[in-house]
Formats: sequence, structure tokens, C-alpha cells
Amino acid sequence: MTATPVAAGRPGTGPGPAITGRAGFADVISSEWMKIRTVRSTFWTLIALFAGSSVISLLITLAAANSYAKDLAEGKPDSADIVLAGLAFVGQIAAYVLGVMTISAEYSTGGIRTTLTAMPRRVEILVAKAILLAVIVFVIGLVTAFVCFYLGNIPLHAKHVGINLSYPGATRAVFGSALYLAGLSMFGLALGFLLRHTAGAITIGLALIFIIGNLFTLIPGSVGHWLYKVMPGNAGGQVTSFGETGRNPDKAFAPWTGFTVFLIEVVVLLIVGAILFERRDA
Amino acid sequence: MIQAVGLTKRYGDKLAVDHADFVVEAGTVTGFLGPNGAGKSTTMRMILGLDHPSDGGVTVDGKPYRNLPVPLREVGALLDAKSVHGGRTAYNHLACLARSNGIPMRRVDEVIGLVGLEQVAKKRSKNFSLGMGQRLGIAAALLGDPGTLLFDEPVNGLDPEGILWVRNLMKSLAAQGRTVFVSSHLMSEMALTADRVIVIGRGQIKADTTMREFIAQNATTHVRVRSPHIGKLRELMAGKGWRTEALPDDDGAVEVFDVASEAVGDLAGQNGLWLHELAVIQPSLEEAFMSMTADSVEYHAGVPGMEPGQILGQPGLGPDQPVWQGQGGGQSQAPGGTSSSTGSSTGSGEARR
Repeated sequence: MTATPVAAGRPGTGPGPAITGRAGFADVISSEWMKIRTVRSTFWTLIALFAGSSVISLLITLAAANSYAKDLAEGKPDSADIVLAGLAFVGQIAAYVLGVMTISAEYSTGGIRTTLTAMPRRVEILVAKAILLAVIVFVIGLVTAFVCFYLGNIPLHAKHVGINLSYPGATRAVFGSALYLAGLSMFGLALGFLLRHTAGAITIGLALIFIIGNLFTLIPGSVGHWLYKVMPGNAGGQVTSFGETGRNPDKAFAPWTGFTVFLIEVVVLLIVGAILFERRDA
Repeated sequence: MIQAVGLTKRYGDKLAVDHADFVVEAGTVTGFLGPNGAGKSTTMRMILGLDHPSDGGVTVDGKPYRNLPVPLREVGALLDAKSVHGGRTAYNHLACLARSNGIPMRRVDEVIGLVGLEQVAKKRSKNFSLGMGQRLGIAAALLGDPGTLLFDEPVNGLDPEGILWVRNLMKSLAAQGRTVFVSSHLMSEMALTADRVIVIGRGQIKADTTMREFIAQNATTHVRVRSPHIGKLRELMAGKGWRTEALPDDDGAVEVFDVASEAVGDLAGQNGLWLHELAVIQPSLEEAFMSMTADSVEYHAGVPGMEPGQILGQPGLGPDQPVWQGQGGGQSQAPGGTSSSTGSSTGSGEARR
């Protein structure tokens, strides 16, 4: 330690030369990128996304290969998108949790106050986090989707019912899975900004995706169907299934329509999150 | 320079900060004093744009915080030490902050050196002690070499060496022409550090003045006199209409109010009474603060036998900081002649007899 705390001639509003420029969006992106990759939870969540999804896809097709082959032989409709089923479990949860944690951890640690004194233009922080999350999760999600596709195919090939990317809807479902996971992470980010609480945001979000959506099937008639269709998991998830069998248009959107509905929901939540983020005290 | 105009924060019906007007000037250490819950932290958060004022506003160098082009280069802040993601290393925490304001990475190493965290820079900060966390917070505040610095309770959790270091740091930052605004409830610490003082109680600014003036205006100077003939001396002083008060647990001394020490010494001398001690007791910041905020303490401790606002005994906070009278005072008292001794014991006086 030294009694002379600051070296002479440094830039600053104190004794040094005048400040030039302005901390801009590129700086915020650079800072947020470093923040995301310097905490361990990011790695664990992404490893869970990749490894969990891949392993579960393989296990599901191992278990289902027999009946799938039998159904095909008997001419019954069945879907080959079981090869991506792993993504529907661990992958969705991991992507969503990563999104929540990206902001809720700052609230739980108090780090948000440091972040906001460094960058008081709050919307830039939210936008930077959303862009980085979407890109990171899309890239990891795409790698994972391809790995699931090929791993899941191994047991099917063993029964001579394997598929390749030219299978109807397969390519769209692989890329769609990555997009859906990226959207889910932004959905988590939005709820993290709204609730500012890790456990609360995770509970509510997962309930919305996995439970509440399905409860709407209990409401009879077209209202129930419509509510079921527009729930984020049900709307966004359509793009991840091959869709060559039995899609009931009353109960499900077409893949890209569903994904567009889901994206609109995410963007609306992010906008509400941004407005509250601006207005609330940190 | 920090300037607040009509700064107000309302939580429901409660006014946390009530139309505060103050200016924190560059080149000084300005202490921000107030009891717990008085509105210190809320005010600091509003300066930093973290909380939105309900009314009024506050600027740093003429700009609202949000409009500062490169915030960390203009304002450095230490809020609570744990405003840090504990899973990140100290170095990475500072590097993330530096990046957000385009500050070169070599500055990160510099501030780590400045606060003495080199050994633990690559360790995750969740395992840091309170004092290490405080140093990390100070490093973050210094990162952009800002012209304005805010410290909220900076010596919390620091060891004596660290406290001395922070004290010197704040003084040298102010000496370089920077604006230094420090909140504290440790009044002895403020008395040693701050040139100016802003006092807040129940959200209202109670004083905005120099430390010296604040103490002079809000606490009474008094004289402590110790004598083997204290009973007789008290009678004489009472005869003069002087207010005296016996010191608790000390049967040889009394405090005399609103009288010059010379008058007390002369009175004793004229009556042939020995004195073992004659001292002007400089009022402390704590006394001044207590007399000012006695009615504005938000949460009373409810200790039986204590006045509202009285502070539980804390070492080093004692109000008695004697300013010993010079030889002149002593020489005016022929029989006593011991007034300039330290008064630590009556023994020294007796020996000279």
C-alpha cells in the first residue's frame, strides 16, 4: 500500500487531462461478455445443456427404437423427432436457467449496483445481455442439436430405421431447436429482470413452460385450445418437432408461426422488463 | 462537485430524504453524518443514479449521473462492500468494470496494487474477508481515476492499519483537488478525516458547514478541574453562579461550564487551593452530533437508563479530548502550579508539593 493513491497524469476529471469519448454500447457488450464468461455457473449450465441433452436423446432412442421400428413396420404414424427429445428436457431448462441467472445473480449478490454505477444507461445493459445470451445459446444449442440428432440416430440405425437431415422437417427442427433454446434464454432473462429473484423466476418460468401450458387443455372448446397454443413453450416448441405426423391445427401453430408468436411474447416481456428496469430503484 | 437541489425520496408515506439542498465542493473531504436510517445511503444512491428521486435532483459536475459520458472516469463509488458477484475473481471483477468504460487493463493491475490485493487478485471474492471486500470496493472506485469519489462507510471491517490507510487515501485524494464525499456513523473517524460536514437526520439536512464550525456551534466547551479540595472549590464556584457537574466515578474532579479556564484557575489561586488538573475540554464531533440529532434518531436502542441518541460506550469514541492549557494558565495559579501536568494521576501533583 502507498500513501499516493493514484498515479499522476492519469485520465479522469480530477487532476488529469479531460475525458474524451463516451462509454458506448460496444463497451457494454465487451463488459457483459466478460461477465458471462467469468462466472462458473455459465459453464456448468452450458455443459448441462450439451451433455444432458445429448445423453438423454441417446437414452430415449435406445428405449424407443424397438417400438418406433415396429410402428413403422405396421404402418402406424410415429415421429422420428424423438432423436431431439433430450433437448426438450434438460436443454430447455438449462437455457432458461442461464437466462434467469444472467441478471438475477447480479441482484442476489448486489453486483447490480456496481454494474449500474459503471453504466447508468440501463437499457443498453439489458440489450447487451439479451444479444450475448441469444448468440451463446444459439451456438451451443446448434452444436447440441446436431449431436443429439446423430447420437439419437445410432439406436435407430441399428434397427434400420435411422434418418438423415433430408428427412422431412429434420433440418428445420435442428436449427429450430437452437433458435428455440436461444429464445428460451431470453425469456428467462426477461423474467429475471421482472422478478429480480433467481428461485422465483425459475419456478414461475418452468411452471409456465411445462405445467401451466398443459393445464389449459382442461379448458374445453376453442378458448382452451387457443390458450394452450399461445403458451410460450407450446408456441415456441413447434419449431423443434419434425411435424410430419398428427399436428392438430386447433391445438398447435405451424412451426414458424408458433416460433414467431413465441418471439413476440419474449420481446414483449423484454420490453416490459426494460421499462421496469429503467424505473425501479436498484 | 456534487450539488443536490430539493432532493427528495419518498417511500410510501415516509420521507427518506426530505428536500435536501447541499453542495459537496472539490478539494475537500466532506463527511456525511447521520444516525442509522437518516437517509445517508439513499442520498448516495440517488447521487449515483441507482435510486430515482421522488422530487428535486442531484448533479455531479453539473450533470445528472445518467448523462455522464464515461461514468467511472468521473465518479468512483464504494457502496456496500458486497456489491460484487462472489464467483468472479477480484481481477475479473475489476476488468469487467474497466471494459464497460474503456479503461485500459493495465489500470486494473495498478489499482490492485494500490489497495494491496495482489496476493488474492486471482481468487474468487466470495471468500474475501470484510476488509478485503472493502479494499476491492475501493479499488473499483479508483479504477477510472475519477474527480469525484463517494465512500459509504469505508472503514467498515478494516483493521487499524487499513483505517489509517483509508484516512490518508481520502485526504490525499482531496488534496489532489478531487471531491470526496464520505458517509460514516463513526464520528471520531470523521473528525480526523473530514474538512466539512453535512449532517442529515430523518432525511433533512441539519448542517452543512466546516467541521470546526459545526463542533463549535453545536457543543459547549467546558473546563475540567481536579483538586484535593474539590468540595471547597465547588462551593466557591457555585457561589459565583457557575454550573458544575461532578464526573461520575471520579471524586476528585468536576466539570465547569461556560467559564474560561483562567477564571477557574484564578479562583482557586485566590483561595489558596491546590489544583491537580485544569483542562479545557474540546467538544467532540460526537457531542456536537448528539446534541444536534438527539430528536432525529430513527431507531432508539431502548437501553434502560440511556438518553435517546446516546451511544453505547465504544472505545475511541469518548467525548473527552482534552486540549491542555499552556504554561500561562498554570503560572497564574500560585499555589497549585500543576495545571499543565497531564492530570493522569494526582500523584504527580503531590510529588511536586
